[in-house]
Amino acid sequence: MDFRPLSELERRQLVTALRGNADGNRVLLVDRKDTSFAGTAEDVPDEEVIHAIKSVPCHY
Amino acid sequence: MGLLDTETGKRRLLAVEIPVIEKYNDGRDPDYRIRLNRVGGALVLAYALKPGHNVYQIETRLLSSYPTVPPETRVLTPLKHCPHLLEGQTLCLWRQGSTRQTSRWDPTKFTCVFAIQAVWRWLACYEVWHETGDWPLPEAK
Repeated sequence: MDFRPLSELERRQLVTALRGNADGNRVLLVDRKDTSFAGTAEDVPDEEVIHAIKSVPCHY
Repeated sequence: MGLLDTETGKRRLLAVEIPVIEKYNDGRDPDYRIRLNRVGGALVLAYALKPGHNVYQIETRLLSSYPTVPPETRVLTPLKHCPHLLEGQTLCLWRQGSTRQTSRWDPTKFTCVFAIQAVWRWLACYEVWHETGDWPLPEAK
């Protein structure tokens, strides 16, 4: 795969979003068509939860 | 429990897993939908994720011991060796072989789509690590 990197701004936004999500105060929004990163929110309604990543307790 | 060969397993599949997969696929571009295949006693979910600009082909296996044991996920797209990546490009998402008592995987709350969301977040971390050499999230305790 020819890896196409994020721009510095995109990377900063993604890192902030990931850390906010890990801390439990931000929901990661995922584009419903192609799963690309679509920003963050404080919360989402229950019916939208499948297109958003709330708390994901994982080892990593 | 035997996901595919016991009544309890089949009930879980029909009442929980299939409905969330259908909901996940609803309105999604065909290339990114979950496709289901039976391989032996396991159910294999094939799908693609694109957290940044790169598309990753993924396989998540629901073994016969699922959901007691968490799903196993491997990335088919070649990756650079990185933290939290096991042999065969299997992702270290939950401690392998662990049960509800010893891990954070909770079969009473989580579904296969929850596992896919965990994979998305792992890949987002990978995209950052690829450029910086730093995994952006601390390891869970």
